[in-house]
Amino acid sequence: MSITNDRQKNIRNFSIVAHIDHGKSTLADRILEYTQAVTKREMEEQLLDNMDLERERGITIKARAVKLDYTAPDGQEYVLNLIDTPGHVDFNYEVSRSLNACDGALLVVDSTQGIQAQTLANAYLAVDADLEIVPVINKMDLPAADPDRVRKEIEDVIGIPAEDCPAISAKSGLNIDQVLDKIVSDIPCPKGDVDKPLKALIFDSYYDSYLGVVVYIRVFDGQIKSGDEIYMMGTGARFTVVDVGNMSPFGLAKTDYLAAGDVGYITASIKNVSDTRVGDTVTNAENGVDTALPGFKKAVPMVYAGIYPADGSKYGDLRDALEKLRLNDAALTFEPETSAALGFGFRCGFLGLLHMEIIEERIEREFNLDLITTAPSVIYKIDKKDGETVFIDNPANYPLTDEIDTAYEPMVKASIITPSDYIGGIMELCQDRRGIFIDMTYIDTTRAELHYRLPLNEIIYDFFDALKSRSKGYASLDYEIAEYVPSKLVKLDILLNGDVVDALSFIVHEEKAYGRGRKICEKLKDNIPRQLFEVPIQAAIGGRVIARETVKALRKDVLAKCYGGDITRKKKLLEKQKEGKKKMRTLGTVEVTPEAFMAVLKLDDE
Amino acid sequence: MEKKLGLYIHIPFCEHKCDYCDFYSITKFQDHVRFTDTILLQMEDYAEKAAEYEIDTIYIGGGTPTVLPVNRMLEIITGIYRNFNVSPNVEFTMEANPATVNLKMLKRYRKAGVNRLSFGLQSASDEELGGLSRIHTFDEFVESYEMAKKAGFDNINIDLMYGIPGQTQYSLGYTLEQVCDLEPKHISLYGLKIEEGTPFYTKKNRLNLPDEDTEYEMYKYAVEYLAFRGYWQYEISNFAKDGYKSQHNLKYWNCQEYLGIGPSAHSYFDNQRFSYKRSVDMFMDALEYVDAGIDIIEENYTVSPEERVDEYIMLKLRLTEGINVNEFKELFDKDFGEMFEKELKLYIENGFMEHKNGHYCFTTKGMYVSNYILATFMSHDSEITKNIAKGLDK
Repeated sequence: MSITNDRQKNIRNFSIVAHIDHGKSTLADRILEYTQAVTKREMEEQLLDNMDLERERGITIKARAVKLDYTAPDGQEYVLNLIDTPGHVDFNYEVSRSLNACDGALLVVDSTQGIQAQTLANAYLAVDADLEIVPVINKMDLPAADPDRVRKEIEDVIGIPAEDCPAISAKSGLNIDQVLDKIVSDIPCPKGDVDKPLKALIFDSYYDSYLGVVVYIRVFDGQIKSGDEIYMMGTGARFTVVDVGNMSPFGLAKTDYLAAGDVGYITASIKNVSDTRVGDTVTNAENGVDTALPGFKKAVPMVYAGIYPADGSKYGDLRDALEKLRLNDAALTFEPETSAALGFGFRCGFLGLLHMEIIEERIEREFNLDLITTAPSVIYKIDKKDGETVFIDNPANYPLTDEIDTAYEPMVKASIITPSDYIGGIMELCQDRRGIFIDMTYIDTTRAELHYRLPLNEIIYDFFDALKSRSKGYASLDYEIAEYVPSKLVKLDILLNGDVVDALSFIVHEEKAYGRGRKICEKLKDNIPRQLFEVPIQAAIGGRVIARETVKALRKDVLAKCYGGDITRKKKLLEKQKEGKKKMRTLGTVEVTPEAFMAVLKLDDE
Repeated sequence: MEKKLGLYIHIPFCEHKCDYCDFYSITKFQDHVRFTDTILLQMEDYAEKAAEYEIDTIYIGGGTPTVLPVNRMLEIITGIYRNFNVSPNVEFTMEANPATVNLKMLKRYRKAGVNRLSFGLQSASDEELGGLSRIHTFDEFVESYEMAKKAGFDNINIDLMYGIPGQTQYSLGYTLEQVCDLEPKHISLYGLKIEEGTPFYTKKNRLNLPDEDTEYEMYKYAVEYLAFRGYWQYEISNFAKDGYKSQHNLKYWNCQEYLGIGPSAHSYFDNQRFSYKRSVDMFMDALEYVDAGIDIIEENYTVSPEERVDEYIMLKLRLTEGINVNEFKELFDKDFGEMFEKELKLYIENGFMEHKNGHYCFTTKGMYVSNYILATFMSHDSEITKNIAKGLDK
């Protein structure tokens, strides 16, 4: 049997991109239903997002793909490969790799909200990947739908024709047929060569305890089948293919081969996802291609935090949990660290704050571990006076002031789209966060796009929340990492009862040290119960105390009520108190609620 | 006869339920005959088990025992004497609410053997009484109190509360002075605790309660003032003239045996702790429930050897005399001082506890944070103590 290039004519590889909540996952559901890949009854809502956490947060974390069979109205049969993408700035690299596996993208825009920051960011990523963009206007079931305005916006801002784009309701199922027509008519078919050496892009992978790593690939040239020897050009790993196949909505479906134009999976008894990096090129082990597909990079963590088990004896369990998560998440890094205050734990690296929150939640939920997480930190670059340059991801390792020649901090280029009513408040916020204004453009008469250069360490705490609260939820944010700039940084220490709590130290810009120190002291005061002795809380730079609060000594903790002969109740009350004590975290000599660590991070809640 | 036993009877009726109270009582009830009969039946049930015991304290509490018709109460009292071996020197207490008593009633109870009365006054300020939704004024209380004296009651307790809505250190001082002037033999001073399920709980933020520090100042003042007036503190909340400690309540804190009869009443008998369910209806249909295999007793458990130690420490340290190391050694074959060497050293050095005459006990300051300290004794966690020690050191 020979495989021909001709078969690609009836393949369409596409993804759906959108701003968060504009209806990407719902549209995916409708397409699945429409092509009868799944019936309504079989379908779990939003099938493509298969982690619980994703469904709860309404966001897609990891890309998934699915193969659909579609018979067009003219009787032609098509294979549609839908590749889902993550929808958050933390995962931009993954998005770009998923898009590179496609030939076109549906750009979903909410008919009531119009273009948002991530609509633009995703549209640009799609343009960068040379994709044919098919705009789709969604949420036509809402009374506030304004498709004409949104059409004009798409044409003006993104610069692609939109006059005949489908106006649909993914929720009610309105005009889904038009979307499928557009996929077939507007998105180009793949144009690979089956007779050339294998050239395939890895766009996702996950660890399965039976199969090893399952690698999702898009084949650009050549073909691949069971028994083939393959070579990963980026990591240099070599494997023998065990199985190849497609992704059905219900799982993996083995096939004889994958060839140019196909999207599918391979398994090869691979033990470690780090051998199958997203963006890497797969080719033949012998006589493979010389040049890899462009754009491969190693996922680089941007945000670091210490993660500790709330119960110190669970250190081993935490390590197991992190190791299991890393099997599926090459972007997660961790190494052991110790803290005088928190004991044994791990310094973990994340793509961003959302990535960090997701990992924390997964550990707590899937592995049933209570965690204490220290304030997240970015990586600072320090030129020391002795000529050495160091990168610091843990405030505990920050050099002494005398040793520092110049300190640098990473900046981001941020794009914020907001209704014009909130521009003032948002500019104030950006200024407060040491932002440097670049420019502002009006998208239409009511909305503007602001560009700022902001220090990454100002946006990793609660910037997104603050942005939302200042814009009643309307403003949207996208950012990309820019360069390191020299900065006046200081290390702020927190002292409880005179002892420095290493886990609460962090790096902050000199100008903000006083305000932040004061706020942290206030927050801690609320999270430290009164104890037998008075507890001073101090914020200090070097040896200089810049803020202080005091938790007064406990005066009253007694059962002075008449309980008569009910000894059981008294005993239960004391038992409860004993249990409560166990939950407390001891920092130096002071008992602190486990919530204290999170509380000091949320500072912008005026 | 060497084994002693306390007897408690719970009368779960009130004219009106106070907004802070979470004891079991109901306000609308008519079938006092049937209730009394059930108390008598239950006493008969226990008569055999208690045959080897001498009853040396009796306590009829509630609720408000004085709202039960006098003839019913007298049936209960005769029932006690019929079913149990009551000591000739028994301490026999009845709780009474001001404005629910009359001279004739009090005389009959005194004659029937009751020799101690416990009045629930709570405060001498009518404003504060109103805030607690009490049904009496201070003057009405004084009237009831004088009546009791006239009826021949010499041993009278007055219950007071601190930390109540609107109370100040000054108003508590006034209450204490008024009460001491009446020269009762015993004063209980309880702290108000807002309990879930009470009307106070739902409006707790609007109650104008004194804060933690004020409460401590009130308590400290009360302990000093009462001592000055000759009422010696012998337990966290209890004060008595010499020779008038409540023998019945001491049984609770000395881990001695007592039998409680009536809905919600608790017992410690034969190393078991158990209580009746909080339901008059279930109590009165006890026989039917028992026939149907449904127990009207709940929380029936044997106290394990470890629990006994914890209970002993928790209860004994409520007393100002504290833990007698010799008695502790006799009971548990362990040296209390050695068991908690670190803890005791720490708390004594910092003025929370004292060691005198072979006893370990709380100071007033320690008593008021006793939960915190007891929790460290009970968890046997030396890490916690170590940190407290370091903290206090600074």
